[in-house]
Amino acid sequence: MTRLRATIAFRFAFGYWILVVTSMAVIAGAVYFGTIGLLRQSTDTGLSATSKRLTTVFEGGGLESLTGEIQRLLSDNIDQDTEDYLVLDVHGQKLAGNITSWPKVEFAVDQFVDLTVRRYNRQSYSRLLPHQLPNGDTLVIGRDMEDQRQIKDLILGTLGLGSLFSAIVAAAGALIFRRKLENSVAVIRHTASKIEAGDLSRRIPIFGPEDEFVRLNHDINRMLDRIESLVSGVKDVSNAIAHDLRTPLGRIRVQLDEALRPGVGGAQLIEAARSAIDNVDGLIATLNRLLQIAEAESGASRRFFEAIDLAAVAKDVIELYDAMAEAKSISLIERTTKNAFVLGDRNLLATAIANLLDNSLKYAGSGTTVEVTTSIERDVVVVIVRDDGPGIPEAELEKVLERFYRLDQSRSQPGNGLGLSIVSAIANVHWGKLVLEDGHPGLIARVMLPVAEEARIAAS
Amino acid sequence: MQCLVIEDDADATRYICSGLKEAGHLVTSCDNGVDGLYLASNESWDAIILDRLLPGGIDGLSILKTLRSLGKTTPVLIISALASLDERIRGLRGGGDDYLTKPFAFSELLARLEALLRRPILREEVHELHIADLKLDLKRRRAERAGKPVALQPREFRLLEYLLRNKGQVVTRTMLLESVWDYHFDPQTGVIEVQISRLRQKIDKGHAVQLIRTMRGVGYMISEDD
Repeated sequence: MTRLRATIAFRFAFGYWILVVTSMAVIAGAVYFGTIGLLRQSTDTGLSATSKRLTTVFEGGGLESLTGEIQRLLSDNIDQDTEDYLVLDVHGQKLAGNITSWPKVEFAVDQFVDLTVRRYNRQSYSRLLPHQLPNGDTLVIGRDMEDQRQIKDLILGTLGLGSLFSAIVAAAGALIFRRKLENSVAVIRHTASKIEAGDLSRRIPIFGPEDEFVRLNHDINRMLDRIESLVSGVKDVSNAIAHDLRTPLGRIRVQLDEALRPGVGGAQLIEAARSAIDNVDGLIATLNRLLQIAEAESGASRRFFEAIDLAAVAKDVIELYDAMAEAKSISLIERTTKNAFVLGDRNLLATAIANLLDNSLKYAGSGTTVEVTTSIERDVVVVIVRDDGPGIPEAELEKVLERFYRLDQSRSQPGNGLGLSIVSAIANVHWGKLVLEDGHPGLIARVMLPVAEEARIAAS
Repeated sequence: MQCLVIEDDADATRYICSGLKEAGHLVTSCDNGVDGLYLASNESWDAIILDRLLPGGIDGLSILKTLRSLGKTTPVLIISALASLDERIRGLRGGGDDYLTKPFAFSELLARLEALLRRPILREEVHELHIADLKLDLKRRRAERAGKPVALQPREFRLLEYLLRNKGQVVTRTMLLESVWDYHFDPQTGVIEVQISRLRQKIDKGHAVQLIRTMRGVGYMISEDD
């Protein structure tokens, strides 16, 4: 029973049942008071009129005339089965009338009273109106209320039966609803327990028509997809961090170990310490980059975002890298627009463009061309860094956005495989994205950010 | 110069203090917020090196805010393990003159500290900077070496100007990026090195005295004596 009460289906059905019974009771009540109330009122009026008339008859001709009139009324074939008459003397002895026995009660004068009396040998539930005659006798006039009682019984009976029937319907509905609910929930619970047990690839099977549960299951599955990709991302990153940090740590250890060998002179010791510091600095730089990605992903820096002209930032970064391009015999071309305002952080945006430029200058090779374009396309500011170097194979375009992922041919170059991840994270925190394309030849890196007004809407 | 170091990590304090003493500065240190606040506000210092996270209930930022509300303009260099961008902004908005994230190289700290101490001189109105036979006309934005004009791009001019304003002193790569390009981030490869070497090509090539020096692992310095 407690198990049943703990189900939504039961609570729903019970609630609906209460609602149905209440509304039936209201309707029945209205019918009851509409019919019985009216009948009673007309009965009362009739009784009062008859009582008044018989009193006048008594005043005119005394008890005899009254008895005669009652006899006449009882034999006139009008309502004689339902009329009650009784005349009592001051001691309560019956003088005339068709009531043969009645409860021995003190009749309150001129007050309607409902009593069960006997008329000849028939029991009758009647409404009575006693009236005191001028000589002290009491005239009681009544009317049989059996028909009204039947109406009342009928209404109460109908109400009771209706309640019972609706209770059965509600219970059946609850059972069906509960089964449907339990089936739907069971599927979700089954998947949840599998996931809890460690199988993150499980998804809720979706069947049946498009109802609330199907939509919910779609939502849950999408959420699970996202969680799975985040979890596997974290897993990959931890593995990558562990691997990428071990290598330089190992190198430092070897250097210091060698420096401590007997017979190693001061100059070598100094060289070893220097080299160790360089390696440690590299590690710190890598960790800083990871922190930068984490920071961008957390969105904490959004608090200080302001309207920034991305074209101006791009120009500055190009100016910073022009000497580098010159040194590598790469021609660096700038095509920037004006007033390309986005909502963001100047340093983060510069970091993003610097990373893209750095990437192109590092991998495109001498004699190539790197082109930086800023433009506004409707409500999106687009920065494109394009080179005509070897580019990135189509299949790897997605993967290079992952942390620490490096193309095989670039492993010989210094770098940590974080540059494009940073750009992607920075684009995301600015409500935008980084898209990489194969430029046939070369790489097209496209950073798309909403213009400042759009970003403000997204931020709020 | 008189420096106050407020830092709770004993190793870091020793590292900073011995370095500063070697560089010829007088150093006082303390390892908690309460003493730090007392020393910082009751004595006169040329510069304060302040850690943000301190024991004793008073953190670095509170010390800084109290100091500034007392009207003290002593240059404060914040050193902190809180590396994120918004922490840095918070530190600078709180009244810090510079923000250095841990771990750092002492040379970076020293260069930045000395730049802070020179700041009043930097603000001075000057029309011409020179070293040896290199002259920089700030009004007409022209440079000449040994009487011959040197063609510089605007950014190169600013780079040279910054080096000259700090002549005889080491400036680090990040200081250059912050002051000349006005950005604070960590460029991956040696963009600053390449910028410097291009500048060097223009002003030092063919001259007996090489003015721009590379200080290994630290930064650059413009100076005429070897």
